Amino acid sequence: MTTEQKSTASGTPGGDCTLPDMAATIPPPPPDPQFVLRGTQSAVHALHFGGGAQAEGRPLLFSGSQSGLVHIWSLQTRRAIAILDGHGGQCVTWLQTLPQGHQLLSQGRDLKLCLWDLAEGRNTVMDSVRLESVGFCKSAILAGGQPRWTLAVPGKDSDEVQILEMPSKTSVCTLKPEADAKPGMPMCLELWQANSSPRPLLLVGYEDGSVALWDVSERKVCSRIACHEEPVMGLDFDSQKARGVSGSAGKALAVWSLDGQQALQVCRTHELTNPGISDVTIRPDRKILATAGWDHRVRVFHWRTMKPLAVLAFHNATVHCVAFAADGLLATGSGDQRISVWSLYPHT
Amino acid sequence: MAVFDTPEEAFGVLRPVCVQLTKTQTVENVEHLQTQLQAVSDTALQELQQYILFPLRFTLKTPGPKRERLIQSVVECLTFVLSSTCVKEQELLQELFSELSACLYSPNSPKPAAVSEELKLAVIQGLSTLMHSAYGDILLTFYEPSILPRLGFAVSLLLGLAEQEKSRQIKIAALKCLQVLLFQCDCQDHPRPLDELEQKQLGDLFASFLPGISTALTRVITGDFKQGHSIVISSLKIFYKTVGFIMADEQLRRISKVQAKPAVEHKVAELMVHREADWVKNTGDKLTILIKKIIESVSVHPHWKVRLELVELVEALLLKCSQSLVESAGPLLKALVGLVNDESPEVQAQCNKVLKYFADQKVVVGNRAFADILSESLHSLATSLPRLVNYQDDQGKFCTLSLLLGYLKLLGPKVNFVLNSVAHLQRLSKALIQVLELDVADIKIVEERHWNSDDLSASPKTSAAQPWNQIQRRYFRFFTDERIFLLLRQVCQLLGYYGNLYLLVDHFMELYRESVVYRKQAAMIFNELVTGAAGLEVEDLHEKHNKTSPEELREIVTSILEEYISQENWYLVTCIEAEEMGEELMMKQSGLQAITSGAHTSQITSFPAFSKPSPTICSMNSNIWQICIQLEGIGQFAFALGKDFHLLLMSALYPVLEKAGDQTLLIRQVATSTMMDICHACGYDSPRHLINQNSDYLVNGISLNLRHLALHPHTPKVLEVMLRNSDASLLPLVADVVQDVLATLDQFYDKRAASFVGVLHALLAALAQWFPDKGHLGQLQEQSLREEGSHLSRGPATLENSTTAEDIEQFLLNYLKEKDVADGNISDFDNGDEEQSVPPKVDENDTHPDVEPALPVQIQIAMDVMERCIHLLSDKNLKIRLKILDVLDLCVVVLQSHKNQLLPLAHRAWPSLVHRLTNDDPLAVLRAFKVGLFLQVLRTLGGKCGDFLRSRFCKDVLPKLAGSLVTQAPISARAGPVYSHTLAFKLQLAVLQGLGPLCERLDLGEGDLNKVADACVIYLSAKQPMKLQEAARSVFLHLMKVDPDSTWFLLNELYCPVQFTPPHPSLHHVRLQGATGQQNPYVANVLHLLRELQ
Repeated sequence: MTTEQKSTASGTPGGDCTLPDMAATIPPPPPDPQFVLRGTQSAVHALHFGGGAQAEGRPLLFSGSQSGLVHIWSLQTRRAIAILDGHGGQCVTWLQTLPQGHQLLSQGRDLKLCLWDLAEGRNTVMDSVRLESVGFCKSAILAGGQPRWTLAVPGKDSDEVQILEMPSKTSVCTLKPEADAKPGMPMCLELWQANSSPRPLLLVGYEDGSVALWDVSERKVCSRIACHEEPVMGLDFDSQKARGVSGSAGKALAVWSLDGQQALQVCRTHELTNPGISDVTIRPDRKILATAGWDHRVRVFHWRTMKPLAVLAFHNATVHCVAFAADGLLATGSGDQRISVWSLYPHT
Repeated sequence: MAVFDTPEEAFGVLRPVCVQLTKTQTVENVEHLQTQLQAVSDTALQELQQYILFPLRFTLKTPGPKRERLIQSVVECLTFVLSSTCVKEQELLQELFSELSACLYSPNSPKPAAVSEELKLAVIQGLSTLMHSAYGDILLTFYEPSILPRLGFAVSLLLGLAEQEKSRQIKIAALKCLQVLLFQCDCQDHPRPLDELEQKQLGDLFASFLPGISTALTRVITGDFKQGHSIVISSLKIFYKTVGFIMADEQLRRISKVQAKPAVEHKVAELMVHREADWVKNTGDKLTILIKKIIESVSVHPHWKVRLELVELVEALLLKCSQSLVESAGPLLKALVGLVNDESPEVQAQCNKVLKYFADQKVVVGNRAFADILSESLHSLATSLPRLVNYQDDQGKFCTLSLLLGYLKLLGPKVNFVLNSVAHLQRLSKALIQVLELDVADIKIVEERHWNSDDLSASPKTSAAQPWNQIQRRYFRFFTDERIFLLLRQVCQLLGYYGNLYLLVDHFMELYRESVVYRKQAAMIFNELVTGAAGLEVEDLHEKHNKTSPEELREIVTSILEEYISQENWYLVTCIEAEEMGEELMMKQSGLQAITSGAHTSQITSFPAFSKPSPTICSMNSNIWQICIQLEGIGQFAFALGKDFHLLLMSALYPVLEKAGDQTLLIRQVATSTMMDICHACGYDSPRHLINQNSDYLVNGISLNLRHLALHPHTPKVLEVMLRNSDASLLPLVADVVQDVLATLDQFYDKRAASFVGVLHALLAALAQWFPDKGHLGQLQEQSLREEGSHLSRGPATLENSTTAEDIEQFLLNYLKEKDVADGNISDFDNGDEEQSVPPKVDENDTHPDVEPALPVQIQIAMDVMERCIHLLSDKNLKIRLKILDVLDLCVVVLQSHKNQLLPLAHRAWPSLVHRLTNDDPLAVLRAFKVGLFLQVLRTLGGKCGDFLRSRFCKDVLPKLAGSLVTQAPISARAGPVYSHTLAFKLQLAVLQGLGPLCERLDLGEGDLNKVADACVIYLSAKQPMKLQEAARSVFLHLMKVDPDSTWFLLNELYCPVQFTPPHPSLHHVRLQGATGQQNPYVANVLHLLRELQ
């Protein structure tokens, strides 16, 4: 641990580690994870809570590791119940379950996107999509209850995003920025659909620090804002409030909103103590959000006010990913090969 | 004698005798008749019955005084006739009955006439035979209201006899007769059961006698124990049969409100009883008094058959008269329940059978009134229990608690009605809590502790492998009998089994939280409740009782467990040692004094985390028990949940392991046995298996708690226990926690080093054990080569046996090969071997430039630990320094095969080590001991790190050691016998003992050897204390091995035993300096050593 970390870990008042209104009084002891999952044997790069209601019993946690394995953890026994090996030892960067349940998508650096069948413990690859980008970009899906769903993956050219219709794997379109824009590679994707219209929209965070909103069916950029100096590393969008948040390799956390004309506007930016955010996630109840920091910390903010609420100092390596469960549990995965699970403000 | 089959023949024979008897009534004539009768067949006799009876009855009826002897023989003869014939006429029956009864009639007193016992017996038997010989139909008509006076007379007569006679024979006969008379005979001669109407009629009739019979029998029953058990048994039998007959619910139900007019004369009608409700009520009340008396007396009757009969009585009355005798139900049930734990197995068995039968028949469960009565009894028992416990002796308590247990058994699922009433529940719980109060005055428990420093390595597996499946013996304030505790456990288990577990646990949880005074008892009760609820040790009387479901049970256990292991209930003050208090205020070496000095307690109050005011021995004792009970509870929970307990392991295992590393011996033992319990319950082979399989949970707890070391000062202990009980497979999981530990240690160097030193020691000891010394690599290598070479030749042993040409050839080939190897001309496949053994860093670096050469985890850890040791070597706490030296020693052992890692570290550790070795610490108190340890470490270092250490040793250490030996020598030479107790002496001894092996191991040069020898020579003097001389001799023995010649010379310089005559006179005469005089103080030792040298 470095000196800087030590001082924050012990809870110095005035920093961003305490609730602001409590700063005057005695700082509360630094929060602890509820439990820690060990045994991935390599850095954790992707986390996803799945199972939920349709899975019998407690929800599951999926984790993807640098060594290419996907661990399925039971949150009841806190042990890995299965290990999926489908990426040839290459880092797993993204995990997502389909709402129908029992199906898991995993994206790996081996340029493969696997669709796993998990029903009845089968744990086999049903299908896979060949990716053409070696970048860092994670994919995104838009899936309702229907059998057909949409998948956004980084495309062949370095600045492209490809939209596929699944499970037929037919390419719908390729979203390529205009020639003069030069936003660099897409770094993160978020597919969503406004309640009012059936048209799928795609938010893309680019290498140059800008966030763009694409109208997928018209294949054009609705709006694009430059909110970071550094590449955007992660973003999440709250479609009800029409507000989103993005984190970058720099020190800023940007909050932006979408107006009726589908124009993006930066609402505010939040300065962090240490640069580098690898992941940003808003909790499903849209009350708080969590960031995964390169400074080994997870920071928790109030989503509406962006008040810093807590700094979770547990890991001793870069935190790569954060994920929220439907019931509010927070899981964080880090380069120290540990996954910590936190129960934060459970009654909100 | 001829047998007369036909009536005619018989008549011919009998007639004269009968006539004779009628004329002159003498005993002889009667006897004559009886002899004649024996020759007559039964059928003939039946025909002639009236005829033969006539003279006999005539004799009885003749007015005027008669001799008893005559009457007796007449009655006997009559009995004989009746026993072989039937009475077929009602009139005859009545008359005979009256005539026989009249024999014992005395006109003046209500008591039986004062006649001889033989006569009484004869009459009783006569009556009995008469009743048996009567035809069934006749007999029934005999029992009509008009007979009431006569019957009454006979009954009272018999009761009188049973009660007042001295002869046991008569008493029994009278009782038997009474039984027959009351239609309750249990012999086989009464084939036809009575129908309902007949029963009712008889019941009506007998009801008149009930008061008399019951009171008289009660008197008999409650009489002296000495009267013999058979009488009491018969009386009991008649009592319950009669009462059961007259008061039978079935009969009473059919009694009409209005009394039917009996067709008898007024006088007799007055005697008749109408069994309507009021009568039943009154009679029931009165009977209750009698029944209580009987139970009181009989339940403590010394003879088991009597008590067995009491069980029958209870069964009969409760089954037949549950409504009419509702008032007696309480005492009856109490009697039954009280006998459940009777000392006689027969009684117990019968009791259980009856209870089971009751349960099957739902006597209690299906009967509101009974349940009410039982709950009332339970309540009053619970109320009086605390009082009883105070003054009863153990036997009394045993009975009382047996009763409690019995009530619960009988109530079964109905116990919930009792528990639902707050008053009842409170009474019961308070009573249990009070009875279970522990005696915590035993000081030994606090005293007996496991001194970590002493035998860390001695304890681990031996204690863990003990199959210790019993509850720790505990001492209670109110009783000593183990059986009582057993009963109490059963009581709680039954409560758990039948009762509403949520309610009970809630209630006791309140008590648990309410006061420390209740806490231990409540915990014991929880443990048993859960065991009971799981149905583990409960025999179920009430089938189809819906048990607590496994899910519910798990929920409940989880909540209790949470309470047990919560901060305030698990981390209790169990000793007054500063280290245990989580804070190390220990001054230099105050550790030992602190335990004995009472003043130390004042410090404890200042610790905020354990702000309980100065703990007394008692309170610590109580805390120890509290923890033990809770630990045992966890074991019991494991059994209760079985495989379901797996889910709780993630929270329960860590605390248990924490206690397995506790300093208090008792806690340690109990925690170990709890681990065994968990192993058994969850299907693990051994604690090692348990720990290995669940190390993830443990590691989780450790790493989280390390973050708050102030709150969880025992965390390092858990890791310690884990390490001691596990094997190498644990290492990958622990690796990151070890890093956490070291990081935490870095933060708390000054404050908590002591608790970490233990872990470091355990860790390194484990590493040293898991990855044993692979020997010196060079040797290994050689060995492997040799094996490879000898795969055909099979070594020299076979060579000797049968040396063939091929063998020789092979041998030569091998030799050449080995020679090649020795010369460095290594072939290709040998090269592979070489590479494996030599750390292959350079190659790997070439192929993977970005990946660091991966050292084995254990090496990395050992290096990290050694790094810390270097700092901690200068800790100001002596204890820590000593321990760190141990750890350092182990580090060197683990690292010995990785010289590239070891040497730089050893280099860095050196100054600190030298400082330890040479500094003049004002605490010379234990320096000798310390130096001994140093030497040990040095020896290991010396063994492994060769040249480098030799030079450092010669330069830094040797001069100082030698110097101190030289300066101390004159002092020890002059000193008296007390000197051997001083520390200076111990220091000298330690240095002398250590030097020899060190010199040999380090392979010192000549100059250094001389230095050593010069310093030690002085100690060969006989003036030195014996022990120092011995030690010095040992130094020279080692020196001889290194350089025998110079040692020889040196010794001879001291004392030369032989004159050396040169072999040739031209040679110079050699004179060695050693003086030959007897005053030479070195003589003895030098001679001794020279002998060794030769």
